[in-house]
Amino acid sequence: MSAPLLQSLEQGFAGLPPAAVQAAQLGEVRRASLAAALGDGLPGARAERWRHTSLRALERRTFSPLAAADESLVAGLARQIADTAPAGADEMPAWLQTLRQLSAQRVPRLVFVNGTFAPALSQLHGLPAEVRFEPLSQALADPARDPRELEFLARRFNAADETFARLNAAFALDGLLLRVPAGVQCAQPVALVMLGAAAEGDRALHLRHLVEVGEGASLDLREYQFAATAQANLCNSLVHVHLRRGARLEHLRVQAEDADAVLLARTDAVLAGEADYGRTDLELGAVLSRHELNVSLQGSGARLRSNGVLLADGRRHLDTRLGVDHAARDTACELTWRGLGAGRGRAVFHGGILIRAGADGTSAQLSNKNLLLSPHAEIDTQPVLEIHADEVKASHGATVGQLDPAALFYLRSRGVPEAQARRQLTEAFCRIVLDDLADTALREQIDALLAQRLAGVGA
Amino acid sequence: MLKIENLHVRVAGKEILKGLSLDVKPGEVHAIMGPNGAGKSTLGNVLAGREGYEITAGTVDFGDKDLLQLEPEERAAEGLFLAFQYPVEIPGVNNTYFLKAALNAQRKYRGQAELDSMQFLKLVREKLRVLHISDELLHRAVNSGFSGGEKKRNEIFQMALLEPRLAILDETDSGLDIDALKMVAEGVNHMRSPDRAFIVITHYQRLLDYIVPDFVHVLAEGRIVESGDKSLAHKLEEHGYAWLDERRVPERSAV
Amino acid sequence: MATERNDIEEALNRRYEAGFVTDIETEYLPPGLSEDVIRQLSAKKHEPQWMTDWRLEAYRHWLTMPVPEWAKLKIGPIDFQSISYYAAPKARPKSLDEVDPKLLETYDKLGVPLHERAKLAGVAVDAVFDSVSVGTTFRKELAAAGVIFCSMSEAIQEHPELVRKYLGSVVPVADNYFAALNCAVFSDGSFVFIPKGVRCPMELSTYFRINAMNTGQFERTLIVAEEGSYVSYLEGCTAPQRDENQLHAAVVELVALDDAQIKYSTVQNWYPGDENGIGGIYNFVTKRGDCRGARSKISWTQVETGSAITWKYPSCVLRGDDSSGEFYSVALTHHAQQADTGTKMIHLGRNTKSKIISKGISAGRGQNTYRGLVKVEKGAEGARNYTQCDSLLIGKKCGAHTFPYIEVKHPSAIVEHEATTSKISDDQLFYCRSRGLGEEDAVSMIVDGFCKQVFKELPMEFAVEAKKLLEVSLEGAVG
Repeated sequence: MSAPLLQSLEQGFAGLPPAAVQAAQLGEVRRASLAAALGDGLPGARAERWRHTSLRALERRTFSPLAAADESLVAGLARQIADTAPAGADEMPAWLQTLRQLSAQRVPRLVFVNGTFAPALSQLHGLPAEVRFEPLSQALADPARDPRELEFLARRFNAADETFARLNAAFALDGLLLRVPAGVQCAQPVALVMLGAAAEGDRALHLRHLVEVGEGASLDLREYQFAATAQANLCNSLVHVHLRRGARLEHLRVQAEDADAVLLARTDAVLAGEADYGRTDLELGAVLSRHELNVSLQGSGARLRSNGVLLADGRRHLDTRLGVDHAARDTACELTWRGLGAGRGRAVFHGGILIRAGADGTSAQLSNKNLLLSPHAEIDTQPVLEIHADEVKASHGATVGQLDPAALFYLRSRGVPEAQARRQLTEAFCRIVLDDLADTALREQIDALLAQRLAGVGA
Repeated sequence: MLKIENLHVRVAGKEILKGLSLDVKPGEVHAIMGPNGAGKSTLGNVLAGREGYEITAGTVDFGDKDLLQLEPEERAAEGLFLAFQYPVEIPGVNNTYFLKAALNAQRKYRGQAELDSMQFLKLVREKLRVLHISDELLHRAVNSGFSGGEKKRNEIFQMALLEPRLAILDETDSGLDIDALKMVAEGVNHMRSPDRAFIVITHYQRLLDYIVPDFVHVLAEGRIVESGDKSLAHKLEEHGYAWLDERRVPERSAV
Repeated sequence: MATERNDIEEALNRRYEAGFVTDIETEYLPPGLSEDVIRQLSAKKHEPQWMTDWRLEAYRHWLTMPVPEWAKLKIGPIDFQSISYYAAPKARPKSLDEVDPKLLETYDKLGVPLHERAKLAGVAVDAVFDSVSVGTTFRKELAAAGVIFCSMSEAIQEHPELVRKYLGSVVPVADNYFAALNCAVFSDGSFVFIPKGVRCPMELSTYFRINAMNTGQFERTLIVAEEGSYVSYLEGCTAPQRDENQLHAAVVELVALDDAQIKYSTVQNWYPGDENGIGGIYNFVTKRGDCRGARSKISWTQVETGSAITWKYPSCVLRGDDSSGEFYSVALTHHAQQADTGTKMIHLGRNTKSKIISKGISAGRGQNTYRGLVKVEKGAEGARNYTQCDSLLIGKKCGAHTFPYIEVKHPSAIVEHEATTSKISDDQLFYCRSRGLGEEDAVSMIVDGFCKQVFKELPMEFAVEAKKLLEVSLEGAVG
């Protein structure tokens, strides 16, 4: 007897448009992926990779897929964005603030509302002509398309605990397709925006994205996940990142979903030689958010920088699982993550670093610091080093504790009241992850968003 | 302005200050000297309100307030400033932001209008100019990655900006080269005024060549054992602290 | 260069020094495991009914348990029916004077003084040979202080009330697969009881030796330190060199009441198998200390250089307020050895403290894993932990892995974990060599320095032995 969650999805699959399921000869893959997910079920308490995140509450819920756009909803959102009547910036919700900024700065963007491409909110032009930038649904609907372009969708997920990747492979009919050819430097940033909104009943939304940066090319990608209205949907997204030789990708991901939304995200990145991948992740919302970030450094000299913050307040459960795989010589990673547990929140962090035999000259460094501010909150952290080469420098550090009393005293001795001093130090504690954002305007904007969120965090 | 009477302080169960008394009036500069472990830094920390110091006896009046009853930020707002011996590095907290928050919190406490960003920046630039400090300092995080000299300079800059009634300099001269030392002294001298007092805590006489004190006190074994004018500092420099012990021997045997 | 290589080859093939076999008449139970075998074993030891029942209950539970899946260990299936669960020298001595001289010779060769003439060494020793204890020294002196130090078999006969009270109270029968097996078939081990307020007048020590073929050793150690008492206990282990893998599945339970302190040190030198990974001991041990009383303290120190596979996590349950736990470990794997070791610090009481210092050294194709858990429970106000895990890599084909779990549920807790992995520093090696040291000497000097923090926790004689063991185990590791 499978769980209600999987039963509801199985029923939902039968209701998907047959043409969309069959498109690009993916019908077989989709059905097999669904069968595998149903066969193995959801990862249980004994699944090591899910040790600190229980799916028992989620598995009792039911969700139905949503395959068509809600035109009136999108039109309503478009009006709100276009409406330039001054609203106090503080009260403006994050999604609206961000979309207005993107629109004002004419940033090329794909916006998905409840898992479906929303042309009215998107802007496809503005990138160099050689760049392929389109919704996946458009490519799937085009019978003339070279099937090799969509090969990534045929990937099978073999491990029993990859339930959500399998479900994604079965269900995802839309997403971002972004290919930057060799040598192209994209001066403009590109945005991917996923908006959740209340729809009839709770919905399961699946999105699949591909970001490919060609040899020596560079791109600045901003990925946003917001709630446009209060909702309790399940959003399951899978991002493939391919960086060719010498490619550079700066990737910002901000997740500020509704406090009832469930997010399951996975990013699989593959880096060729000398490729450079910089990431900043902000986990600020949702009731349950699990993000798996798998980065394979396959070419020598490939580099990863990953910074992030987990803000687990309220009754939020945030679980980020990094898996960095050093498979080539002279690769490097630097991981700086901060976690905060307040209210009844729980922050779970796993920082896995694997250095394979032969990956000499590798350097790997992880810092995970956490603040635990409430007697009902919990922090679980597991930094892992798995090392099979000897010419390496690897280290990790993890701490769980409180604000530094010496710093607190210093601020108070200068006249800053205690509550304000605590907030300043908490902000500073988290802000460190933004240090590597090169775009000053963006950094200030994200800093403000973070500060706004932290202002609402009581101990 | 500051009246310390018979102050006894314990740290981790050990008595460090054993009946210290000191009276500081507006406009005065008091130097407190003493050997390592005499309790010099304890005095600074107790006055600023650091946790972990148990006051077992004595009183401290600051103006018309019982200083020991005040929170650290209230002491600051009342006009007390401690230049730390080891200024704390606070990565991620911007110096300007921090100072504006501090200054405005103090102004609010005193019932003065808060400064807006423009007014604040104007004030900051003025102070920087006087102290010959580059405004690069403003963009950095509080003391983060600063050299020893830069940290001390930042303390003096904060003092200049916050304009306390009483400033306590806790071994501000330690680890400074002569140029940095002069800069610190210049900052202090510039701020000397009839209604502002200083307590300069130091191990060496050197700083007192540049900040000339009205009074010099010797702190040893938790008490002020000798007070005098600036010539006392020179005597100490010449003879070392051992000289004090020798002088105190008869007193001890008399007890 | 070629000659150097040859020297290294030679050193590499040097004999495991404790790898001799003692030719002595031995009584076995036939291989195999069943309720009957357990009844026979219990009968041979003249155990009371409650003990037989306890064993049977454990056995029945064991049958229901799944064989553990190994996260990081490569291990073939173990045939539990091919192992003999009881082997003992036939001549049963009444006192040490009657002990077979061959046995005494064995312990002499191992450097363990069993004879009272070795009083000079000043350490009380219980020696366990295959399945049974062959003698405990210094009994009179200890008895005068009120300390009970005897084999577990004797304790069951002579102090049943203490054994019944404490046995299985730290590691429950159903704790894990190998602990359950141990409960069912344990043959002997050591029992220590330090009464209230007594500071044990000398170091206590047990020496374990597997001699017979095809046997498993399942010893059981129980140490109880009453209020305000102190004991330092040392454990050493060796086995002869054989081609088959032999199983060692021990359980050690420590109980510290209010203000009591137990210091438990291990130098584990079971036969590691040869350079091709043939033979060697499977060392699956459950060690746990219960800081039951306020201000109690349990400190584990281990130097693990032997065994083909080591699987052990000496742990502390910090139940009493202000109690503290420590874990100091050096684990070395060379050739095809695999070690998966670490600790669990479970903070339950208020103001509990724990400290973990782990040093892993991997050489050859050795795989060394630190696995640890620091858990701060809801009531553990003011809990503190500091963990430092360092790994040293010597050679291209070895592995070093660090798997700490940190779970914190109290906002006043401060938990810090740091880990580093690096190869032995070329700069340090060069510096030593440029001062005239040979490469191996330089390596052992650097390794010794790397382990210093742990060695200094060991009693003096053990520290010397540990250092020597490390040197021997590392021979041939560089080049």
